[in-house]
Amino acid sequence: MATLASSVKADVDKALSERSPTAPWAKFFLATAALLTLFTCYRFYQHATAFTYGLDFFSPEFQKYWMSLLYSELSIEVLFGVGAGLYLWATRDRNLDKIKPGEELRRYMVMMSLLLAFGVIFYIVASIYTESDAAWHQITIRDTDFTPTHIGLFYFGVPCFILASFVAFMYARTRIPQFANKLSLPFALLVAGPFMIMPNLGLNEWGHTFFYAEELFAAPIHWGFVALGWSAFAAGGLIVQVLTRVVQLTRLMSVDKAASAA
Amino acid sequence: MTAAVPNDTAVTTTAEQRRSYLQFDMLIIPLVVLLFMGIFSFHFALLVGDWDYWIDWRDRRWWPLVTPLAITVLPAVFGYLLWDKLRLPLGGTLTIFCLSLAAWISRYLNFHLLANFPMDMVFPSSYVGLGLLLDCMLLLTRSWFFTGLIGAFLVGLLIYPMNWPILAQYHVPVEMDGILMTVADVFGFEYVRTSIPEYLRIIEQSTLRTFGEAVTPLTAVFAGFINIINYWFWIWIGSLGVKAIWIRKIV
Repeated sequence: MATLASSVKADVDKALSERSPTAPWAKFFLATAALLTLFTCYRFYQHATAFTYGLDFFSPEFQKYWMSLLYSELSIEVLFGVGAGLYLWATRDRNLDKIKPGEELRRYMVMMSLLLAFGVIFYIVASIYTESDAAWHQITIRDTDFTPTHIGLFYFGVPCFILASFVAFMYARTRIPQFANKLSLPFALLVAGPFMIMPNLGLNEWGHTFFYAEELFAAPIHWGFVALGWSAFAAGGLIVQVLTRVVQLTRLMSVDKAASAA
Repeated sequence: MTAAVPNDTAVTTTAEQRRSYLQFDMLIIPLVVLLFMGIFSFHFALLVGDWDYWIDWRDRRWWPLVTPLAITVLPAVFGYLLWDKLRLPLGGTLTIFCLSLAAWISRYLNFHLLANFPMDMVFPSSYVGLGLLLDCMLLLTRSWFFTGLIGAFLVGLLIYPMNWPILAQYHVPVEMDGILMTVADVFGFEYVRTSIPEYLRIIEQSTLRTFGEAVTPLTAVFAGFINIINYWFWIWIGSLGVKAIWIRKIV
């Protein structure tokens, strides 16, 4: 009898566990594969055309191969950002107080998937694309702010991770009760820091144009970027906020406690 | 947009609970590793940068001073998170390993494949031992104070000796065009870069060149001393970073 009961319980457990929410892995891997393809293609393009058509801003080839790319990517980024923002706002959950715990847990998983996609872009841009610019400026002298590596780093890579962090933040604000009720300071810092890199770019380019033509990467003119990068130190606070709620959502209640709560 | 936070639980069995935990492990662990690789690379590139990019920049005056100050930041900040919240003494080893991995990928893709510098000239220095040292000190003392006092001091002190076996071959003297220089200097002169001559002129000013054999140990002890305070400061920043602060509005 006891064996039968435990067997039934195991079957019920299995059936229930199969219904428990999971992260949207298929969509995540598809999006990551698309992003990796995009960044790799950009890199091949840079390799093939930077040294042939990307050295002289005033040449017609530069306008054709690089400036047209700049205008295209900026337009797509603006359209994507506005579109994603509008979509997330228009489809926001207006009944967050009625949300079921399972659904809330699933939404946390979606938010973390979005942050993981942000992490992929952030690594590629902050490491590979940034140091690509370092290597480039050691072997060429700039005659424009829009060098081939800048067009990749500042006008493609940085906007991409700003958009990724913005989408994750908007998702949380419009779909997860805890983040809709209050503003998470660590999350806000994680989004604001990368965003402020773009205005700081003004100082960087202004400085390089007027008083600092060479490119020592550790030079003081670049320290504004470092300070903004440090905003990512708030990631720990965000993880604490997420895990605290996840622990609440996944705690096991004893039968007696559940009955008394009911 | 105000909504009450529901208080129910989303799981009813231990199997469901484990499954949920696994989902979050699979999301958070790669995210943390990628963030460490990205943040540390960015931070290190813009504070140490050239001193680590080029073999002829790894001098005995600035490289052993600038590097420990920059390399201690993430082990301290995220070491606080990993130790205080998860009791994992991994802050130093994990963050510095992530930096090293990202640095090798970047040097190969950017400095070697894109800019055509030989890997012999642009390989990253070895730092993982410093992270191990910090973590072991934390595990043994269980104290931020003593980890800073002993561990962070040793980080400053040992950067040069830990890399000495790799650097020694580049410091062999050679004569080129009647001038005595090191193998690393020859790399620097053969591969012209946009900013290197200024640096060669300003390095080793004042009496350092005539200061006997003591330049490197002197710099190392000074770096160790500053790094103690540096570590304590960034531990404090780390303690702020893990605060789960909620606010009603920004302004």
